[in-house]
Amino acid sequence: MKTQTATQNKAFKTFGFALVLMMTLFSFNTTFAQTKEATQERTIKGLVSNEDGPLPGANITLDGTRVGAVTDDDGKFTFPKKLKTGDVLVFSYLGYETQKVSITDKTSFITLELTPDMVEMIGAVDTNKPYKSKRKKN
Amino acid sequence: MQKTALLLVLLFLSLCELNAQISDFDHINFKKADSIALSLKGENLTNLPELSYKLTSNLKTDAERFRAIYRWVCDNIANDYTLYLRNSRQRQRFKKDSLKLTAWNTKFRTKLFNRLLKRKQTICTGYAYLVKTLADFANIDCKIVQGYGRVSTTNIETLDLPNHSWNAVNLNNKWYLCDPTWASGIPSPKTNKFIFQYNDGFFLANPKLFAVNHFPVDKQWWLLYGSDIPSFETFLSSPILYGNAYKKLELHNAPQQMHHNIKPLEKVIFKYQLKDNTKTQNIKLGFDNGFSTWKNQPTSISINDKSLEVEHQFTQTGFYDVHLYIDDDLISTYTVEVKK
Repeated sequence: MKTQTATQNKAFKTFGFALVLMMTLFSFNTTFAQTKEATQERTIKGLVSNEDGPLPGANITLDGTRVGAVTDDDGKFTFPKKLKTGDVLVFSYLGYETQKVSITDKTSFITLELTPDMVEMIGAVDTNKPYKSKRKKN
Repeated sequence: MQKTALLLVLLFLSLCELNAQISDFDHINFKKADSIALSLKGENLTNLPELSYKLTSNLKTDAERFRAIYRWVCDNIANDYTLYLRNSRQRQRFKKDSLKLTAWNTKFRTKLFNRLLKRKQTICTGYAYLVKTLADFANIDCKIVQGYGRVSTTNIETLDLPNHSWNAVNLNNKWYLCDPTWASGIPSPKTNKFIFQYNDGFFLANPKLFAVNHFPVDKQWWLLYGSDIPSFETFLSSPILYGNAYKKLELHNAPQQMHHNIKPLEKVIFKYQLKDNTKTQNIKLGFDNGFSTWKNQPTSISINDKSLEVEHQFTQTGFYDVHLYIDDDLISTYTVEVKK
């Protein structure tokens, strides 16, 4: 009886150990899988346009770095550095609102239209010309 | 909880009341920032994130990083006087037709950004826009402030549409004002062609001095509180300040009115806080009575610990444009009518 219990106990222990081991392995496995997906670096391409169509000369920069691309005559770009999920690209062009795009698991081609910055353009020129009162001519 | 909130608001307000200005950064030498800006002279605007990076990456504090951006814009962007004139004409023409005004603004905006990109020429908003954009890339919180700017050649009594843009920038959790357009240069008095002539006085200027010729549409950009904020009427009747005033003056204290009606032998009193002490013989008044112009020493001048007080007694009747000069630089203008 005693021996049986001991054997049973041993079996349970072994089973328990195996279970914990498997769980650990599985969890590692999932971690690995996630990391692998997130760090999988890939080339990102895209097309930038404005209200008139494809926009050549737009800047695309990896946020926080100086790595960047410029759109070609057809508004297309291929980012020079391989990117991973979570990276943020900053799209900008003088006179247009800067837009940030986060790279997700599914991103491979980015199509983006930049919208004009609706700032009202005004301007006064400073001068050193002395003020002269308007006087009635005699 | 409410009490704490109230206390926090009060603390915030009291902090804001401290005048945000360049003297907060006395401990910082902007030479390095300026030399970086200078070394990048001639760079073009096709890659703004890169330009912003080059200007700021070797500088430690936000104040220096912002300074490099501001200085670069002031030294490299020309004010396009013809564009300015065309825009003000059209804006006047369409001021009562908001649809046409909006259509003009849209058309002009595109033209202006093209001109800025290709020729590095612009008008005020272009300067303010560029400073803000470059600052954005450097993660510095900077705003464009739209409003009214008063100079000697604008129709100063009838400013009816906003005509000027400048910047507010947040450095170390405090807002400051600067005017890159007016800091960059002035049109040549003879040819009206723009001349680069950097004026350091417009960088993080004293908001009280700034308020004499800058009226923001959005009230928060006065960076002043209570009775320090002028009404629009008061603003329109203020003395005229020139760019040099920002170099020489810390404050323009009196008179607060441009025009004065006095009787013969009465005095007009002028009070200023100077940035640096100067000799009394360097203070002069210029007069124009419509027939002739002359420069003279005022009746009395006193300079006491950078506080300048000038008195002038008018003996002859007439209508005078009165200009203050410090070290031969034109600072401000007033009008005085002397009548029996």
